[in-house]
Amino acid sequence: MSASGKRPTTVTRTRRVVSLVVAGAAVLSACSSSSGSSGSGSSTALVIARGMDINSLDPSRAYCDTCQIYLTAVYETLVGLGDDNHTLVPRLATKWDGNADQTEFTFTLDPKAKFADGTQVTSADVKFSWERLAGLQGAASYLAGTIDSIDATDPGTVKVKLKQSNSAFLAMANASYMGIVNSKVASAQGATADPKTDKAEPWFLANSAGSGPFTLEKYASGSELRLKRNDTYWGTKAAFPEVIMKETPKAVTQRQQLEQGAVDIAMQLSSDVAKGLSNADVTVKEVPSFNYVYLALSPGAKGGEKLTPKAREAIRLALDYKGLIDVTVGGAGKSQPSPIPNGFLGTEGLAAPAQDVAKAKQLLSDEGVSDLSLDATYPSLNVYGVDFTTAMTKVQTDLKAVGINLQLNPVEISVWADKIGKDGIPVTALYFAPDHTDSSQYVQYFGLLKDSQWQTWTKADPVPAEADLLSKAFAAKDDAARADLYKQLATAMMNDQIIIPLVNPNLFLASRTNIKGVTYSACCNLDLGKLSRA
Amino acid sequence: MPLLLAGIATLVFIVSRLTPADPLVSIVGERNLTNPEVVAAAKARWGLDKSVVSQYFTYMKNLLHGDMGTSFSTRRPVLSDLWDRLPATLELTFAAMAIGLVFGVGLGVLAARHRNGWIDHIARFFALLGSSLPAFWAGLLALYVFYAQLGILPGPGRLDPRASEPGKITGFFTIDSLLHGDMSTFWSALKHLILPACVLGWGVVGIVSRLVRASLLDEFSMEYVRVGRAMGLRERTVVNTHALRNALLPTITIVAFAFAFLITGAVLTEIVFSWPGVGSYAVDASRKLDFPAVIGVTILGGVAFLITNLITDILYASADPRIRLA
Repeated sequence: MSASGKRPTTVTRTRRVVSLVVAGAAVLSACSSSSGSSGSGSSTALVIARGMDINSLDPSRAYCDTCQIYLTAVYETLVGLGDDNHTLVPRLATKWDGNADQTEFTFTLDPKAKFADGTQVTSADVKFSWERLAGLQGAASYLAGTIDSIDATDPGTVKVKLKQSNSAFLAMANASYMGIVNSKVASAQGATADPKTDKAEPWFLANSAGSGPFTLEKYASGSELRLKRNDTYWGTKAAFPEVIMKETPKAVTQRQQLEQGAVDIAMQLSSDVAKGLSNADVTVKEVPSFNYVYLALSPGAKGGEKLTPKAREAIRLALDYKGLIDVTVGGAGKSQPSPIPNGFLGTEGLAAPAQDVAKAKQLLSDEGVSDLSLDATYPSLNVYGVDFTTAMTKVQTDLKAVGINLQLNPVEISVWADKIGKDGIPVTALYFAPDHTDSSQYVQYFGLLKDSQWQTWTKADPVPAEADLLSKAFAAKDDAARADLYKQLATAMMNDQIIIPLVNPNLFLASRTNIKGVTYSACCNLDLGKLSRA
Repeated sequence: MPLLLAGIATLVFIVSRLTPADPLVSIVGERNLTNPEVVAAAKARWGLDKSVVSQYFTYMKNLLHGDMGTSFSTRRPVLSDLWDRLPATLELTFAAMAIGLVFGVGLGVLAARHRNGWIDHIARFFALLGSSLPAFWAGLLALYVFYAQLGILPGPGRLDPRASEPGKITGFFTIDSLLHGDMSTFWSALKHLILPACVLGWGVVGIVSRLVRASLLDEFSMEYVRVGRAMGLRERTVVNTHALRNALLPTITIVAFAFAFLITGAVLTEIVFSWPGVGSYAVDASRKLDFPAVIGVTILGGVAFLITNLITDILYASADPRIRLA
């Protein structure tokens, strides 16, 4: 009832409703003006917007880009990586050495190194961690699979004996998956090196047992990952009391939240999204990455019989590499000569791939190939800012100019995996990001070594010379000799014409201007312990 | 009910195993697919090395004990995943239903009372838009306008990125934050709820308003309405007190089914708004061929439909004395 005692008229009621709506909008607007900082969370926390791909937080089972960031922050490795993304620096170990034939490595642990619960990091923990990594046969187990035995007699010294020479072992020891776990804590939670008895993964999803600058505070799948500063950290303490990684799959949302100050770092911006950023409070660094997207040709696949060496070379020559970089990442990337990416040992001086349509046509003509039609089933992905469909459409266009017709067939990766495992796929695309800083990982994966991943998938004949070169590289201690051997391997893989790198996209590291220390690390993506706020 | 759920689980189990796809890629990653040791360990761990028949009986046996298995991708028991994610979906669904009911009934009444007038045309157009616009498009549009351009509502997620989740009591952030007396988190949760709830609720508005309008128009032709009007009752009393109550009866069924559908069907809205509920879980599970999670979500959907069916029957009985007496 109105004050006059009369029933309100329709007009009066309408006014009231409109007033209420306006008032509501005003309240919302007022509240949302502080949307970037409201909530009960600490405003001093570092917030990172990421599309998280976490498959586990158990250091012996995890294998993903976000896992690398997490493991680096929580579980320290024996050796760290310098800012040049090449030099190994002390971390849990103060010094290390390998014997002449690279079959034995000795690490001296830092006596100051302690786990978050205050217990000393000992050689027994290293032995436990690496044996568990190898024993559980998780996705990263190959890193420790080369170990024959670990002598942990002296708590401060780790003596590792390998099954065969492996000059890459130190680089592998730097991989985030080789982080050291507090063996007593983990064992108490059912962690063992036997996959039949190990029961610790659920515990690792909610707790941590490392010596790093952060500990796990909370993980909610599909929502967020929270890390808490390890206030008893034995080294230089992290600047941020808390780090929050928020599940933000879309690059556009990452950018908007960064511009609004709701998050501090966004490092999965595509080139078009990053280039549209013009905010005085946001800094964008475009840095070269070691990630790349490649085309794979399988002569042994069903329907790929006509992919002879000359036909494969013709495909390589038919591609417009600059155009590929332009259409996929707006020019923010590089072409890459060999399956070993630019910047890794053995890639200096390799000639960049170039398009030569006339030669490609000539090669196909010499081979008697005309109107070649090939199945190009590929996983429907968008990684490192590269949309696979865009890339493959450009490849299709380029190949059509030389008379090769690609049947594009984008599918879910599980369907793709089923197909490539059974019949193989004549032409497909995939991506690669390094686990560590040694070139050997590329040879082991892409080289035509017997039973390597791509030798198996392409069903191409193994090339014994590549296996010999890799053995020599593993046995060589001197960097110059190794560089020469890896260059020979890179050239051999280029001549295989099985893997054709399409684009090596740059990485856009976007952060609020007051955030310092945002750099890309080849082993670990982003080192949270080095970040601070100005 | 148990037989029905067992049937659902069996059907989904068979369909998922017939799919020409390899779930191992989401377990070991594509880089290890040709590594025999890693593949063998993964198969043994997840029971994929056994025959499909053996896998089926093991699954059903575990299901009888309330164990839906462990998700390939989250590595947690599916039941725990659903338990954690269901409140997010329920909070969104309840909010969407509230919006859908209030605006749907209101628009339906307005449209019926002003049949063929401009109010009726606008209401019907609005309802048609709600029913026909794809949720992902409406969601993206809403985010663009209210978040990116106007900045009056927050973007995706349940809370501001810097906010902490309230201690779990119900799992509804709005309620839990209020129970904890944390008004800052309450506002954050409420603001984040508005856009996805409106987008999801708009579809319900479309269905409910058209149904209410049609039912009311039927009721208006009934004798008791004419009698009421002839007795000099105010139009509002005739409509709201007498006709609307009868007109709402068929709406109960639709609303109940809409609710059950939204619990597992709010997929697109959850994806667009990065809402960590059951819908986004289902999509992720499907893409990764996460068998246990896919079957778990399907069973949850079945349970939701069965429960809402039961509630519909109860509501019908309380709303319509003739059913109660029968």
